[in-house]
Amino acid sequence: MSDEIIQIETPFQFNEENKREFDELIGRYPVKEAAMLPTLHLAQKQAGYISPAVMKYVAELLELTVMKVKDVVTFYPMFFEEPVGKYVIRVCHTLPCALRDCKVVLEHLKAKLGTDIALETNLAKGTTDDGKFTLMKVECLASCDVAPVIMVNDDLYKNLTPEKVDEILAQLPN
Amino acid sequence: MVQERRILYEHLDTPNINTYDVFRQHDGYTRFEKAIAEYQPEEIADMVKEAGLKGRGGAGFSTGEKWSFVPRDIEPRYLCCNADESEPGTFSNRYVLEKNPHLLIEGILICCYAMGIETTYVYIRGEFTLGKKMLDAAIKEAYEQGYLGENVRDTGLNINIYTHPGAGAYICGEETGLIESLEGKRGQPRNKPPFPAVQGVFMKPTVVQNVETLCNLPFIVGNGVEWYTQMGPTYGDARFDPPKADPNTGTKLYCISGDVNEPGVYELDLGLTCTELIEVAGGLRGEEVKAVIPGGSSAPILTHYELDTRLDFTSLTLAKSMLGSGGIIVMNETRNIVDCLLNIMKFYAHESCGQCTPCRWGTPWVRDIVQRIADGDGRQTTITRPKFGVTESGRWGDTGETEEIYEDLDLLENVANNIANVDTMTWNTICVFGIAVSWPAVSYMRKFRPEFEAAIREGKLVTLPVAEATVPPEENYAYQQRIIPKEFADL
Repeated sequence: MSDEIIQIETPFQFNEENKREFDELIGRYPVKEAAMLPTLHLAQKQAGYISPAVMKYVAELLELTVMKVKDVVTFYPMFFEEPVGKYVIRVCHTLPCALRDCKVVLEHLKAKLGTDIALETNLAKGTTDDGKFTLMKVECLASCDVAPVIMVNDDLYKNLTPEKVDEILAQLPN
Repeated sequence: MVQERRILYEHLDTPNINTYDVFRQHDGYTRFEKAIAEYQPEEIADMVKEAGLKGRGGAGFSTGEKWSFVPRDIEPRYLCCNADESEPGTFSNRYVLEKNPHLLIEGILICCYAMGIETTYVYIRGEFTLGKKMLDAAIKEAYEQGYLGENVRDTGLNINIYTHPGAGAYICGEETGLIESLEGKRGQPRNKPPFPAVQGVFMKPTVVQNVETLCNLPFIVGNGVEWYTQMGPTYGDARFDPPKADPNTGTKLYCISGDVNEPGVYELDLGLTCTELIEVAGGLRGEEVKAVIPGGSSAPILTHYELDTRLDFTSLTLAKSMLGSGGIIVMNETRNIVDCLLNIMKFYAHESCGQCTPCRWGTPWVRDIVQRIADGDGRQTTITRPKFGVTESGRWGDTGETEEIYEDLDLLENVANNIANVDTMTWNTICVFGIAVSWPAVSYMRKFRPEFEAAIREGKLVTLPVAEATVPPEENYAYQQRIIPKEFADL
């Protein structure tokens, strides 16, 4: 509870570059509200997650109520309301990946990182203690021909085996 | 063996095709130039209608017909390109976006010209970061070359394309969900009518098209309608040919995954059989085909009895399934259908948008029932009915007929059919997500009932041999027409 109050009191603002990008974005739509998703993506890129302060800032930018922004944030799985690790690992577990043993990859990642799988309502559950990784299960990533696949932040890794997972984790900068 | 016919994917592996220069060398943008030089906008719309192009996103609705619903006197009109490819088993749009984004831009230009549209939004799913990056770069090049922006190639046309990222919600692939999401709201589908063609994004007339549909346009304009209509199924037997009024022309990007040796995207004429497609994809990985999902995870499953079904829009509709987005998932004899259904139901329970009560509650219920069966806690009762006959003592009396009732299977069908009824094809929800839930649930259960029964009886998942696990066609409810004739329905 006290955390939340502190976060609201620490205001959030776009940096120069993101402000420029936002100004370019807003011109694309006849109504400001339509820029919601791209703006939230920008904000999340800068802040790491959508805190109440971010919601307040986005609401002011788009001339909406904070509740309206929160409404959208809670709907989409890609927006985080809690801090996440530096690397977010999304493991696809839908049918085509399941047919190609994504469970092995998932179990390997769990053992290797020593963490559980994050829940949408409890991201801390899947975040490592050092705050480096967050492990998530996600639905189809539309790469079923190269299953099983994972995404580490923005990058897709294909045809995975436990050995390949080790290689990928080893090459990530600290 | 059926040969691939690469049209949309012809230059996919050409190095640097994502740059304007290389794309231009391979006829890039000449089809758009031909369109503006030789045809009036209405003529292009007529050509698309004559070509019989069907929307490749899932519903298979005639593109030309969709365009004809758009009122041309209301300004502005919008085009939304649906690149929110989320259907499990589908991955053809990703390759277009990542490797050949200029082809999509050319398709968009032709559509914009034909419909007099100035603004296009390409709704890309949030996970396609590379695809968005490549498309953004291509759009930038197209602006520099004067194909986008104000006064395109000195024709007086103004065309703008903007990319819009999604944020991981499956339902935003539904056209009205996409529109809501584009407007910056929760992606909850709207009631239809009004259809997007009349009141879509920002309440203006909107054309919503899939990436693959738009990529077909340059080839229809470039090579002509006659060339395009030659491609597609003619089976040499009038009984099996699609009706003239409902042609299945062109090629389709079939995405094949699961238990095949060479999964991937294969561009083939519409209308080959499942068996042929598996052969094209390097053959089956395993001994025997157990099941094939023909059109993304929401399509009803096909059993090994149905492998000669033609994979086109009309044939699959007649087989009570659908081509959908063309995502074909093959399962071999080692797969347990209960387990597969559980996986799919977890997907739908997660992705229900929560707007309509039958779907919000029903989908997790269906998942829980399948979970219970998979965990070995499926419910079963033995009931005894009175039956008149010769008893053990040799007298006439009540012999008591016992029957095994698999309560959970009836419950599963009941709950699923109350989200959307698969027999009457009516749904109690706003959008077709409801039918996408009950179609797999009911079809898997009806067609592979012995495997479900075995799981309940044995208290654990049992993978039966293919022949035993499948209900033969003659006993299969799914094959039987169970729609009440209209004259009785009125009573």
